[in-house]
Amino acid sequence: MRSWRRVMALGLVATMTLLLAACGAKETAVDANTESAVAETETEVVAEETEDTQTEDITISFMASQDWIQDAELDLAKKFTEETGIKVDYQIVPSDQYPSLLMTKLNTGECTDIFGGQSGKFDIQTQYNVEKNALDLSGESWAKNLDPLAATELTVNDAMYGQPIQDVSSVWAIAYNKNVFSELGLSIPTTYEEFTQVCDAILATGKTPIYEAVSDGWHHVLWFPETAVEAEVLSPGLFEKLNNNEITLAEDATMKLILTQIKEMADAGYWGDNYISNAYADAPKNIASGDYVMTVANQGFGAEVNGVDPNFSADDIGYFVIPLADNQTLNVNPSGPSRFIYSGSKNADAAKQYLAYLASDESLAYMTENVSKFNKLPYSNAPSKYTDTIKDFYSRYPDQATVLQTAVKYVNPQWMDIGTNMSAMLLGEMTPDEVLAAIDKTRDDEANAAKDAAWSK
Amino acid sequence: MNKKKVYPIYFTFGALVIYVILFVVPSIIGIGYSFTDWSAYSDKLAFVGMDNFKTVFSSDEDYMAIIKNTLEFTFITTILKNVLGLILALLLTKSIKLLNLHRGIMFMPSVLSTLIIGMIFKSILNPADGLLNTFLRSIGLEVLAGKWLSTSELAFGSVMAVDIWRGTGYIMTILIAGILSISTTYYEAASIDGANGRQKFRYITFPLLLPTLATTTVLNIIYGLKVFDMIYALTNGGPGKTTTEVLYTAVFKKFGTGQYAVGTALSSVMFLFMVVIGVFMIRIMTKDEVVE
Repeated sequence: MRSWRRVMALGLVATMTLLLAACGAKETAVDANTESAVAETETEVVAEETEDTQTEDITISFMASQDWIQDAELDLAKKFTEETGIKVDYQIVPSDQYPSLLMTKLNTGECTDIFGGQSGKFDIQTQYNVEKNALDLSGESWAKNLDPLAATELTVNDAMYGQPIQDVSSVWAIAYNKNVFSELGLSIPTTYEEFTQVCDAILATGKTPIYEAVSDGWHHVLWFPETAVEAEVLSPGLFEKLNNNEITLAEDATMKLILTQIKEMADAGYWGDNYISNAYADAPKNIASGDYVMTVANQGFGAEVNGVDPNFSADDIGYFVIPLADNQTLNVNPSGPSRFIYSGSKNADAAKQYLAYLASDESLAYMTENVSKFNKLPYSNAPSKYTDTIKDFYSRYPDQATVLQTAVKYVNPQWMDIGTNMSAMLLGEMTPDEVLAAIDKTRDDEANAAKDAAWSK
Repeated sequence: MNKKKVYPIYFTFGALVIYVILFVVPSIIGIGYSFTDWSAYSDKLAFVGMDNFKTVFSSDEDYMAIIKNTLEFTFITTILKNVLGLILALLLTKSIKLLNLHRGIMFMPSVLSTLIIGMIFKSILNPADGLLNTFLRSIGLEVLAGKWLSTSELAFGSVMAVDIWRGTGYIMTILIAGILSISTTYYEAASIDGANGRQKFRYITFPLLLPTLATTTVLNIIYGLKVFDMIYALTNGGPGKTTTEVLYTAVFKKFGTGQYAVGTALSSVMFLFMVVIGVFMIRIMTKDEVVE
């Protein structure tokens, strides 16, 4: 018995020692392997002692939100590694957790070599503090190819800090089933009243006019800031006054009108019975089924519906701007997810090399070809795959204006909060005035936290 | 062997150091941060006194409603889980067929991940094509098919119901252990005296089960005050502003929007609640021990 115990104890000690040695000396193990390899092919190893062995050791880390990185980009990363030997380690984070994780990493000075962030000339300054946390990329070879509007949203004090990841030409508009419109003899509405008539006609057939998804927390928000361009059209200079803290959202009648009309639509049954529990991921399926006729989407939506139901052509989906408050201005948003190089990166040169690779003609063509929702990436050397339907949509609205969340400070960072307040409004817990007051209050809080000069006057 | 030997105090030092470093120090630092203006927007910290606590208790904010929701959730789920757990424990300590199978089925929800339960129930309670409403419609009870998670009236009740379903089996298991530890001699003596089932429960089972019930109550209260994952998965505090918002989901959202200082102030308030309730509960439990 006693000897059996001794054997057990010895065995355990030996296992523990082995485990500790294996954990603590990973590098030593690698060295040992290398040594044996050297012994076998001594001459070859000596001959190949070039710069390649140094680049092979480089791994650039890249942190981004889950929806921002496409499979096609991961393919390009692999090709980049094959060509240069530099590895790219993507750290993809769930979208609801990403903003706070990124802010924590930037504030603690422990960020990845490349980090993803939303562009926006105000937000990159107040939120990301790019002048301190990111490298100036103005001198990079691809910078001159950047679309000027997209570049503006990445520029602070004449220095350009980021590289757009996605197609920003697409706008959030009403995507509609052309077949249903032609069956019912409906035409594209240009005013809110015409829009309600269209919805009533659809409702009378037993179909639900609009597929809306509140449960995601972000999608139903689009109705408000995307159509708020009309407020700027009616009161030119409004957005600038908002940025200078000279006026509040609650003081503007158009803002209130838009929220009131959103509530009216939901109450009239245009969004159906289950809009609170609907999820946006189901939008293509529901439009393809014919139960719903319209939804707020961007111009890749036709391709997505076609993906769900091949009988449904991408061109069967048409687009028109959201006509709340009679808006007829194309709501453009040149900001979007972008890549920034962290100022504290030890692999800055490799990171710059990777960004140059991603902005090359071949890479941009590969991305456009392989990502259905990308029609035209914001680079002059990127190919375009606009269909006639999409070209027709853009040409229908000659006037353009930048959306509220990009043109006005401290709106985009509180997107999900606006969503909560708007859903409270839809449930009757808040009035449009209270929603606007809540947005103003959060803007004040964020501006004060950022020690914004316009708020400390 | 000297069995009466008292171990020297320094034996506890290792554990104490780890406990202090990993638990006490972060808690104190966290409370300290609640007196600053710590946020994601600035890397400079400034002392702001009680400002964050004034925000938490301000009538302009929703935090009082959130605290009320948390206490309501804790109170209702604690009572119902204990009552239902006790009923099930009494039923499943009788001689019935396939006893362990029944116990296993009742205990099963507690083994599953709360997040997974939340996601499953989100689908079951979907008003359009969820299992519950489809079932109600199929048996002609369409009038009862509700928007379980998407209306202010039903959402909080639905969330609590799912949580009670999840937690009752666990409480039942603890109470079964408590009932089985009661000596059968009491019941035999009571039978000889002609006591019926209800009298046996009132005068034997219930009094002797009180210490166990105190334990399950403490477990439920601590769980209720700290509830996060179930609500996060089912409604994430919605629909609307504060329908099902509780302290932890609110703290999570404050951190998400970079308002770290208000988030820590909120969790400090919760910490205070838990200390007060904890001391109160420990006193009750110690009192029971003295009676024994």
